[in-house]
Amino acid sequence: MKNLIFEATKYTPEINLDAKGIISLVGKSYPENTFEFYKPMIKWLEEYFEVNEFGTTTINMEIIYFNSSSSKLFFDFFDLLEENCEKHTITVNWIYDGENVSAQEAGEDFIEDFESLKIKLVEK
Amino acid sequence: MIIHENRLIHEIEILQESFAKTTTKLIKDVKRQDKIMARSDKRQQQEYDELQRKFAEVEALQKEIEDTQKEVVFTMGAIGESRSKETGNHVKRVAEYSKIFALHYGLEEKEAEMLKQASPMHDIGKIAIPDAILNKPGRFNENERKIMDTHAQLGYDMLNVSDRPILKMAAIVAYEHHEKWNGTGYPNQRKGEEIHIYGRITALADVFDALGSSRIYKEAWSDERIFKIFKEERGEHFDPKLIDIFFDNLDEFLSVRDNLRDVTD
Repeated sequence: MKNLIFEATKYTPEINLDAKGIISLVGKSYPENTFEFYKPMIKWLEEYFEVNEFGTTTINMEIIYFNSSSSKLFFDFFDLLEENCEKHTITVNWIYDGENVSAQEAGEDFIEDFESLKIKLVEK
Repeated sequence: MIIHENRLIHEIEILQESFAKTTTKLIKDVKRQDKIMARSDKRQQQEYDELQRKFAEVEALQKEIEDTQKEVVFTMGAIGESRSKETGNHVKRVAEYSKIFALHYGLEEKEAEMLKQASPMHDIGKIAIPDAILNKPGRFNENERKIMDTHAQLGYDMLNVSDRPILKMAAIVAYEHHEKWNGTGYPNQRKGEEIHIYGRITALADVFDALGSSRIYKEAWSDERIFKIFKEERGEHFDPKLIDIFFDNLDEFLSVRDNLRDVTD
């Protein structure tokens, strides 16, 4: 399976989808059409979990700013992770700056909503 | 009697289960959506507060910069004047007269205000004139006069190195405030509208104030005498349009003079 990389833009984060099991999203997320933007990523992940039913994956998310549709998308993204986390070992590192209260709260929300998913809050 | 359970019931039960699943998911989705909205509202509020704070900060900084600039520019003008035997509120009056001329001439408020701030720097070049010449009590000889007259070019050279619009404007003022409408001024003997309007305005504002002020070496001229010479010099020393503006709006000029009268007068 091919790796997929998106360079960061003014409105979108850098996304690095490494088939070896490391996935990272770093930057800001407030694109005009959020779902359109993340479609290739979601498609890649669905395929990834199909191919790698068992395995270990670490997801590093360091999103310093995001709009509400990105927030919705991250919930969907975590849904997808949760669906696969029984067989596949998944660790999510939600990385945030100590001064960025919004980012911290978002991380806490994800932990609350996805009980079976291993989400770690990592303060920079 | 055996009653066979209606097959429909089974189907309905399947439906019921699926319906329960769907509604549970719907409820979860709606809750999630509400959460996102609430978070989003909270975030927007914080962001907007922050934005307003930042804007206020930028505005305060901008004001600080503008005030500092005004002060520096005014001080530079005062330094120039301190070396040209002018005293008291001369700089302030010339500034105000210049703005009145500019507005009646048809310049925009912003440009007129800038000229008000720039015009006091017209004599800044005098800081480079040797004291022996500058403070000479009697009349200048030809050589001294030549040196004295270089203050226009000197002022221009000092100010024109800046990219700041106000200093660029001041450079023009310094350069051309001794040019005369009929081409007999200095340093370039420019004529008529070849002389920038900033130069023409400051020339008239400066002379009006200098004539009307008393100095150690001279009495203040009477208004009649000033008005007479202005009429004679209309189209000669001075831009005729500006002389007309002066007489048409005399009250405005005189009220500035009254308000900014020198204490020693």
